[in-house]
Amino acid sequence: MAVTKKTKLSREEELLLQDFSRNVSTKSSALFYGNALIVSAIPIWLFWRIHQMDLWQSAFLFVIFSLVSTYLVAYAYKNVKFVLKHYIAQKREEGITKEMMSKLSEDKEMTKKEKDERVLWKKNEVADYEATTFSIFYNNALYLVLLIVFSFYILKNMNPSVYPFTVYQLLNSIITNSQSWTISAQK
Amino acid sequence: MAATTHKMFLVACLVFLPIFASADTCLGPSVSAETYTTSEVTVSTETVFIAQFTLTCKNGLQNVNLYAEVAGRMIPAVKTSKPNEYQISITDEYKALRSGTYEAKFYDEESFSALKKAKRNNEDSNSVTPLFSINISHSGLWQGSYIQSEFVAACVAILVWWLAFSAKSKLSP
Amino acid sequence: MRLIVAAVILTLASLSAGQQEDPEARLLISKNVLNNFLVEGKDLTVEYKIFNVGGGPALDVHLKDSSFPAADFDVVRGNLDVTWERIGPGANVTHAVILQPTKYGYFNFTSAEVSYHSKEDKKEQRFGYTSAPGEGGIVNRKEFDRRFSPHVLDWLVFAVMTLPSLGIPCLLWYSSSRRFAVPPKKHN
Repeated sequence: MAVTKKTKLSREEELLLQDFSRNVSTKSSALFYGNALIVSAIPIWLFWRIHQMDLWQSAFLFVIFSLVSTYLVAYAYKNVKFVLKHYIAQKREEGITKEMMSKLSEDKEMTKKEKDERVLWKKNEVADYEATTFSIFYNNALYLVLLIVFSFYILKNMNPSVYPFTVYQLLNSIITNSQSWTISAQK
Repeated sequence: MAATTHKMFLVACLVFLPIFASADTCLGPSVSAETYTTSEVTVSTETVFIAQFTLTCKNGLQNVNLYAEVAGRMIPAVKTSKPNEYQISITDEYKALRSGTYEAKFYDEESFSALKKAKRNNEDSNSVTPLFSINISHSGLWQGSYIQSEFVAACVAILVWWLAFSAKSKLSP
Repeated sequence: MRLIVAAVILTLASLSAGQQEDPEARLLISKNVLNNFLVEGKDLTVEYKIFNVGGGPALDVHLKDSSFPAADFDVVRGNLDVTWERIGPGANVTHAVILQPTKYGYFNFTSAEVSYHSKEDKKEQRFGYTSAPGEGGIVNRKEFDRRFSPHVLDWLVFAVMTLPSLGIPCLLWYSSSRRFAVPPKKHN
């Protein structure tokens, strides 16, 4: 009976795994949820001031739907980031390689393998960073556009009570997510 | 003897006549006035000016009949239920009462008939001095905004999103 | 024939003389609400116009409007209880009052009352009513603001609030992309 030893995954494999999983690090997660919360809280101002919804009466509603919206927007962030990461990685590959090589060329002690590893790691890091920030930017822009268009034009005539607020919040988030689904489906 | 007394009496009358006569006109008028002009199109289909004031005469005259000349009109001032309080009101189309300061000159019975006579004879109406005047300043009408702020907000939001979208398309092959 | 003509002339003369001997004033008063919109907490403009269509002057013309309960309306400017000493024959006067509704809902605008002496000797007093503007709906202030106010300040604050959530990620991404952007290769 052969005892199979569980070998530790090499760094390369680890990186690859990280690359292809949708899981985000806790730091990124915190970033996503934080941003999503901010963006979901902003419409409350609009609804209070412009649609003249009473703050205290609708407080419960505001809170519930901000939380729901936060979750959905964060989900959208993750999706879009995942999709973009690869594209960005491809695009930045050359630039990063160049920069890293010029930096590490002085260091003669490192092996090529190590250098490649470093480049790969750097590539991953940069792509991650860029994808995260762009995802947040894009999703925020999309969310706000949908917010304004839906609440002021399409659902304008409804009383600013339960109905339109919830409907549009859900619509927003669904549309935001579907965006990222379609992109991933295209792949 | 009787003639001198008679003459003295006549002189005395003549001397004191102005005082008795002046009991009919308001001397030293002081006015505390509040005015109103239409500020928005929504609250009125015509421009309305209202001047509400209380008149105090130094010689204690009460409930004088007053007339006003304002914005080319000659109107009587109406008395309210409170003593010595009056009001004048003017209504006209927006174009006829544009923004600016209008001086409402007030006259009593005598000076008002003098004013009417002067106007009839095409004399200078400034020769008749008013009792007092009140300034009504009209700052114009709020006609409502021309562009809806929501429209501007929606345009800006769409622009921002479109920029983001084009950047995204550039990223994906 | 001459007798008939004389009789006719005399009758006419007596009739006209009769009118001139005893000219009477006759007042027609209209009451109008000049608003385009009746909104709670916003000015309500009421205009009264009095026309003397009679041949004689109207004396001690007293206009009193008790149709606005103090609980539902505030008087901003003007007076609802006024008296004109004299309105000459063929003359007209205007009176305006600015009110503010303190409650919203339907309100029936009814007539105001007028009393005056129709002859110089002040022996006969007449009573009359103004025209009634009818029923009007006073809109809730919130609803009105929601639909008509421009909210410029609110939008500006909104823009300022969204600026960090849009601006910061955009800048970060942009600076990073610039750093690693590869200039397009020139194909020889």
